[in-house]
Amino acid sequence: MKTIRQLMMALALLLPLVAANAASMTYTLQVDGLACPFCAYGIEKKLSSIKGVAKVDVDIKHGLVVVTMTEGAELSEQLARDKVKDAGFTLRSFSRIP
Amino acid sequence: MKTSQAYKKAGRSAHVLAVLLVGVGGWTGQARGAPITFNTALPVAKGEFFFREQLVVNQSGDDPSGLDRDRRAEAAVSVLGYGVDSKLALFGVLPYERNELKLTSSGQRVTRRASGFGDLTVFGRYTLVQRDEPGSNFRVAPFAGIKSPTGEDKENDTLGRLPPSVQLGSGSWDPLAGVVMTYQTLDYQVDGQFSYQANNEANGFEAGDVARLDGSLQYRLWPRTLSGGVPAFLYGVIEANLIHQGKDRVDGTTDPNSGGTRLFLTPGIQYVTKRWIAEAAMQAPVSQNLNGTALENDYIARVSVRFNF
Repeated sequence: MKTIRQLMMALALLLPLVAANAASMTYTLQVDGLACPFCAYGIEKKLSSIKGVAKVDVDIKHGLVVVTMTEGAELSEQLARDKVKDAGFTLRSFSRIP
Repeated sequence: MKTSQAYKKAGRSAHVLAVLLVGVGGWTGQARGAPITFNTALPVAKGEFFFREQLVVNQSGDDPSGLDRDRRAEAAVSVLGYGVDSKLALFGVLPYERNELKLTSSGQRVTRRASGFGDLTVFGRYTLVQRDEPGSNFRVAPFAGIKSPTGEDKENDTLGRLPPSVQLGSGSWDPLAGVVMTYQTLDYQVDGQFSYQANNEANGFEAGDVARLDGSLQYRLWPRTLSGGVPAFLYGVIEANLIHQGKDRVDGTTDPNSGGTRLFLTPGIQYVTKRWIAEAAMQAPVSQNLNGTALENDYIARVSVRFNF
């Protein structure tokens, strides 16, 4: 039930992004350990430093990070995992929104 | 001669307060939702910096010695932190101080004061335990460093050499070590720290070593209910600081009017956003078991801001 709620939340966050730029790839990262606003900045900054990242949106309540790429760019799970680790947190799951 | 001895005595027994100011105010380096009077185990992202500026006013009085001593130490403590990697962080702490000691001796009221940069403290912290869960984390991080004698320790005024409690620096290299733990959730955060600073001799004076145990609870007052995105948090903060300092040594002799144990209770408030934090706290002494005529604390007030680069 919790997973379904999180998926719905991710979809709700993603809908406008997908509609705005259908050619861009978007990824959802579930980040463990994220529990305060100041921590969110480190995650945003680390993921934004990846080449091809257009936008990073954090939902602290659900520990969700939505990464939108520029057209044609992709994000690998390993790179996302490394960047989340660099920020001091743990990547639980990684998925690409079709 | 009598006057000179009175000055020295006043300076020695008040020295514990200088150590408290640096010890309590100097290690407060972290840049997360975090304690106000000490450090936290939360991470500094790899390759990233943060900066903190904390204004501290340390007021002491209630002199049992009959000298009617009144000491006020003001400091602007600058902290720079850097994440070497996700587990190792380095910190530098530099206070700008304004120290003032008033006392009555031989019927005269005199004031001794000094201002300028104090001693630079550098230390590293390594995250030994990290448990991340959805919406919460737990960390344990030992740390170690050293306080270097960058502050002036041979200041004089018209009455001669200033006592140690008024000097800007101790003149000694003083190692410090400890361990800090943090449990953080979306609703609250708990931090605990134990630390020890071994003070060494310089200019014939050796301040007593300082051992301290700190605890902090930060509870989210607003927003009451979390929505999406990254809202700012308003935390109510309550902290406790148990600080023990050994007796000073002057020219190899133990000073019976120095050192002791203090317990502070510290209510505070903290506003946390994604890029900056503003906070204020007041340390009130609830118990002071001091040796001889060592000077008591009235209060320590703190206001600070932190920034993520």
